[in-house]
Amino acid sequence: MAKPTDIIKKKRAEAVSRIISKGYLSSKRVYVGMATCEIAAGSKEVMEVFKNAVTKGGLTDVYLSQKGCAGRCNLEPTVEVIEVGKNPVRYGKINPEKAQQIIDKHLKKGEVIKEWVID
Amino acid sequence: MDEKVTITINGKPYRVDLDQTIMEAADSCGYHIPRLCYHPKLSIEGACRVCIVEVEGMKNYIASCAYPLFDGMKIHTNTKELRQARRDIVELLLDNHPEDCHVCERDGNCELQRLAYAMGIRHRHFAGERKHYHKDLSSTSVIRDPDKCILCGRCVRMCSEIQGVNALGQAGRGFHTVVMPAYDMPFAESVCTTCGQCINVCPTASFVEKNYTQELFAKLNDDSLVKVAQIAPSVRAAIGEGFGLPPGRNMEGQTVAALRKLGFNYVFDTQFSADLTIVEEASEFLERVQEKGKLPMITSCSSAWMKYMEQFYPDLIENISTCKSPMSMGSALIKTHFAEQIKVDPKNIVSVAIMCCTAKKYEAQRPELMVNGMQATDIVVVTRELVWMIKSAGIDFLNITPEEFDSPLGMSSGAGTIFGVTGGVMEAALRTAYELYTGETLVDIELNSIRGFDGIKVGTITMDGKEIRVAVANGLGNAHNLLEIVRKEPDRYHFVEIMGCPGGCIGGGGQPYAAANSIPLDTDCLKARAEALYSNDRKKTIRRSHDNPEIQRLYKEFLGRPLSKKSHELLHTHYKPHEPRGIASRKIRAI
Amino acid sequence: MSKEYIITICDGTGCIQKGNAAIRKALEQQLKDHNLTNDVRINLSGCLGMCDKGPIVVINPGYTIYGNVTPADIPEIVEEHLVRGQPVARLAIQEDHLYNRFFRIFGDAKFFGKQMRIALRNCGIIDPENIDDYLSLRGYEALAKVLTDMTPKQVIEEVKLSGLRGRGGAGFPTGVKWQLTARAGSLNSPRAASDEKYVICNADEGDPGAFMDRSAIEGDPHTVLEGMIIGGYAIGAKQGIVYIRAEYPLAVRRLEKAIADAREHGFIGKNILGSDFSFDIDIRLGAGAFVCGEETALIRSIEGGRGMPRPRPPYPSVEGLFGKPTLINNVETWANIPVVILDSGKWFSTIGTERSKGTKVFALAGKVVNTGLIEVPMGTTLREIIYDIGGGIPDNKEFKAVQTGGPSGGCLPAKYLDTPVDYESLAKAGSIMGSGGMIVIDQDSCMVDIAKFFLEFTQNESCGKCTPCREGTKRMLDILIKITEGKGEMYDIENLKRLGSMIKKASLCGLGQSAPNPVLSTILNFREEYEEHVKDKKCRAGVCKKLLTYEITDKCVGCGACKKACPVAAITGTAKAKHVIDQNKCIKCGACFSKCKFDAIIKK
Repeated sequence: MAKPTDIIKKKRAEAVSRIISKGYLSSKRVYVGMATCEIAAGSKEVMEVFKNAVTKGGLTDVYLSQKGCAGRCNLEPTVEVIEVGKNPVRYGKINPEKAQQIIDKHLKKGEVIKEWVID
Repeated sequence: MDEKVTITINGKPYRVDLDQTIMEAADSCGYHIPRLCYHPKLSIEGACRVCIVEVEGMKNYIASCAYPLFDGMKIHTNTKELRQARRDIVELLLDNHPEDCHVCERDGNCELQRLAYAMGIRHRHFAGERKHYHKDLSSTSVIRDPDKCILCGRCVRMCSEIQGVNALGQAGRGFHTVVMPAYDMPFAESVCTTCGQCINVCPTASFVEKNYTQELFAKLNDDSLVKVAQIAPSVRAAIGEGFGLPPGRNMEGQTVAALRKLGFNYVFDTQFSADLTIVEEASEFLERVQEKGKLPMITSCSSAWMKYMEQFYPDLIENISTCKSPMSMGSALIKTHFAEQIKVDPKNIVSVAIMCCTAKKYEAQRPELMVNGMQATDIVVVTRELVWMIKSAGIDFLNITPEEFDSPLGMSSGAGTIFGVTGGVMEAALRTAYELYTGETLVDIELNSIRGFDGIKVGTITMDGKEIRVAVANGLGNAHNLLEIVRKEPDRYHFVEIMGCPGGCIGGGGQPYAAANSIPLDTDCLKARAEALYSNDRKKTIRRSHDNPEIQRLYKEFLGRPLSKKSHELLHTHYKPHEPRGIASRKIRAI
Repeated sequence: MSKEYIITICDGTGCIQKGNAAIRKALEQQLKDHNLTNDVRINLSGCLGMCDKGPIVVINPGYTIYGNVTPADIPEIVEEHLVRGQPVARLAIQEDHLYNRFFRIFGDAKFFGKQMRIALRNCGIIDPENIDDYLSLRGYEALAKVLTDMTPKQVIEEVKLSGLRGRGGAGFPTGVKWQLTARAGSLNSPRAASDEKYVICNADEGDPGAFMDRSAIEGDPHTVLEGMIIGGYAIGAKQGIVYIRAEYPLAVRRLEKAIADAREHGFIGKNILGSDFSFDIDIRLGAGAFVCGEETALIRSIEGGRGMPRPRPPYPSVEGLFGKPTLINNVETWANIPVVILDSGKWFSTIGTERSKGTKVFALAGKVVNTGLIEVPMGTTLREIIYDIGGGIPDNKEFKAVQTGGPSGGCLPAKYLDTPVDYESLAKAGSIMGSGGMIVIDQDSCMVDIAKFFLEFTQNESCGKCTPCREGTKRMLDILIKITEGKGEMYDIENLKRLGSMIKKASLCGLGQSAPNPVLSTILNFREEYEEHVKDKKCRAGVCKKLLTYEITDKCVGCGACKKACPVAAITGTAKAKHVIDQNKCIKCGACFSKCKFDAIIKK
């Protein structure tokens, strides 16, 4: 019978391929903070904007995911954009309008919106 | 396990049993650590923090009631800091307690008062806001006064651990914590069985009986009325304690005399109606045995048990004897047969029961027990109330000349006497049932297997080759345990006796408070009260209920025979299920 | 914005000893020489736990770790890695400690630089509702390792070796607790295996302003579950229970999903991962009583009773849930377990101080620029937390105190800023570690008022069982109210101390035993403020309303705005002339103060 360590190795490989099949290898990954605190600060609405952009707005080559709280309470909601080969960029205090701009400028044109970046 | 360890208390070494708490060890070494919430028959609460001690190597004080010993433990019970801390703790309790000691029910008999005195509290440091709640007067039997509550939790533990009723619990937080029935519903509507054990264990006057003495005094002064009293067996065994006597003195004659001095025209004995109960109950039992009626038959003398059963064991209603309690049988006779005899309109008779029991106040008001549209028992006063009525009327109880009961409801057998102790009803019933069934006299009438204070006792008796298995429970918690067996194995017992209070009626909720150097419901005290009744039984020439000539006369002249139509009319009753309010189903959800 | 490169130099004791200062100096020089100062940020980190390979230099992005770096290597690193973008293979080391991922992903170096994430290693990184995310980051590998290679005894030994202590507040050594629970039952009955045992996760986080447990469960529920399953294996339990506040609906939902997913994958249930070990986890919701964080009260609550503590011993490890031996640890403690197993207890024990190992999560709140959830190695000083991570006090205000350990912790003044955060040092300074609340207080706060606030909380949350806590804290609160209303006497301060020390020593549970801490520590450290309230009837922070006086200064231009705003007509004055407040009429509502456009009204 397979050892637990072998089983977990297999499960891990399967998990990774499932994540990849969901588009993890897109050139950009977007993470929206979705803990209670972030939701209270408005991250659900922000998430909606990104979701809409991916499903209806023709935003392609983007992997969208939620994440937990990283601890930057005073800057929530936070949105993180990771581009392959570049430093990750984290935006703080994002609202739906700002989210739309992130889509339009950063995700579509590759322009980082410096004013909102958490330094 | 009798492993010994060496500990030191206040610098002196002692060799003691390992398997005990610091408090128990200190007690055995002659140190009485002050205490409040502790009660040896209840679980350890550790709430009051009065019994704190210092243990070397521990940074905090330790509640001695809760902490086990270890070898080499160095305990200090009386340092300067400890004395101040204990004082401060008791003072904190006083600071949130009404300052009305001299008009309080428990004045002179209050554990908090005694403790405050002993701690040397002569002035206050931290006075401030006090709690203020309303008294709950809704119950027929027990008054709840949260203002006087010091939250020791004894009543809560008593109600759940010993009585299994769970009528009380703490609610609220912090300063606003209060002991109350579920949802703060009126006591009368709660699952409270009115047993009054909360009163017995309460160190203050947060629980007291509902007092009917003023009403009674008024009636006693009314010359247009005929005042008739009956006294429960256990009252005479305990009333002396209310006058400073040690437990166990039978004060029957003194009580009769005192009641006459208080203005009663007739003083009868509930032991007489206990004999009557036995004849009826034994007959009912034999009928059930012979005619394959519902078994086991369960006794019905204890009023708290009646309510408990209707709430929690409605499925067993058919098993309950239909016999009224001795008090209600006596009152029914007083308002009918006796009224006829003395040719007085029963409306002009006041039937008063002197009981050891707060629940009898509830029983008296049960509509099922009405006789010809009248309440059979008009007023119930408990032993404690009678004590102070005697005192306030200026009667020298201790030096009074004992008197005899009136006739016809005054004569009793030894069987009626032992009703007051757990197992007594069963013993009395078997003495009669045996003879009725076999036609022979039971020689060895003291049934030791069902005597004593074990929670559940079982025994067997063989009648004409038929084995009769009996079980006896005292305290409603034990009743619960026994009835769970009955539910599962209905054939295991033929006859079951249940008494609602620990030890039976002698431990009733209306008995005198514990003496200053004693604890409530102390086993030695209960034993002494029991012995007062057993010795009375031994002294009697007539020890079987059916041999009581007054009982025989009553059947001849009035009732006809046991279980006759008349008997059923006057001496039997019925029960109905009661939805218990405010407590969850007993089934605890298993994980 | 994030810079081109972030270089993290390990500033742990080991690397300091091995000369990381020289490396930093060399690095700074090289950056200057290559004109890279503006593109590269250097920061120091707490011990990264690779002391044997130190000094350690980490370069992000790319997460290249250089070990055994000497100053002579620096030019090559700068030349090759920073300028040409080619990591120096010769110096790079492969490390796969779980916690390190955090630095790879975040560029927010100022906030995260001094942090070290073990318990929160996945929080803010993975999708908590997707078990695949957790699996991809070696999730449940610790469990598999335990089931394959380790006996329960070895697991306990590993935890003991790690030096991990309970993160719920008391700091009891976790491994010892596990061992006691594992042995319990075997003492009472020789057939220990048949004895029922329980594992509980205490997620009843009730401190005001604390959100460590919530964030941990919301961000990474599986690590808590994995820890619990390992705990169950180690002590021989079959059932785990997470006791969590009903006020955390999202955390509860994610936990429920995590349990369901884990069950589907065979991490929970019968014959976990094909082994003969079976374990299940259930959730119980708490009704939001602070005292239910106390283990015996929590257990009573699970049993269906009113959450009230009972005296210990017996401890839950001997007699816990339903009278069975019970292993109860808090969320953060459980979250550390998979790391201890995978990265070894020995490695874990290299982090932190001599007696406090690993990291601690804090909810940093109050008057600090970066409020947030942080995790730092034990031994990080309060100053580093407040100034480096927290970014200092906003609006250039003065630091006054920091309150650690939740509502029952102590308030430490500036002189304790260099206190390292560990169980013993905080206790020595007069506060506690607690479960991880940390509230920064600035000059605008009145210490008497702060003490009153916390005491009000503990008094309201006292279960009401024991006298000292129920009645004593109420009397202390009465006295504090008296003082803040200007009715205090000097003996009141002594009475506070007398009551406070009695309550600490005589109370039944931890709540009462620590409730007086805020009062006692503020009397100790800020006695002058108490005396001002009592003697001078003054509150220097201007917080205690009843002690305030509002006065109009010469700045007044006589606009009349204050006069109009005053609800009790206490202000008189003619137009364009200085107005006056009648102190007898003034109710100190502050309406005039906020209306004045010329800063002419002052609070005294």
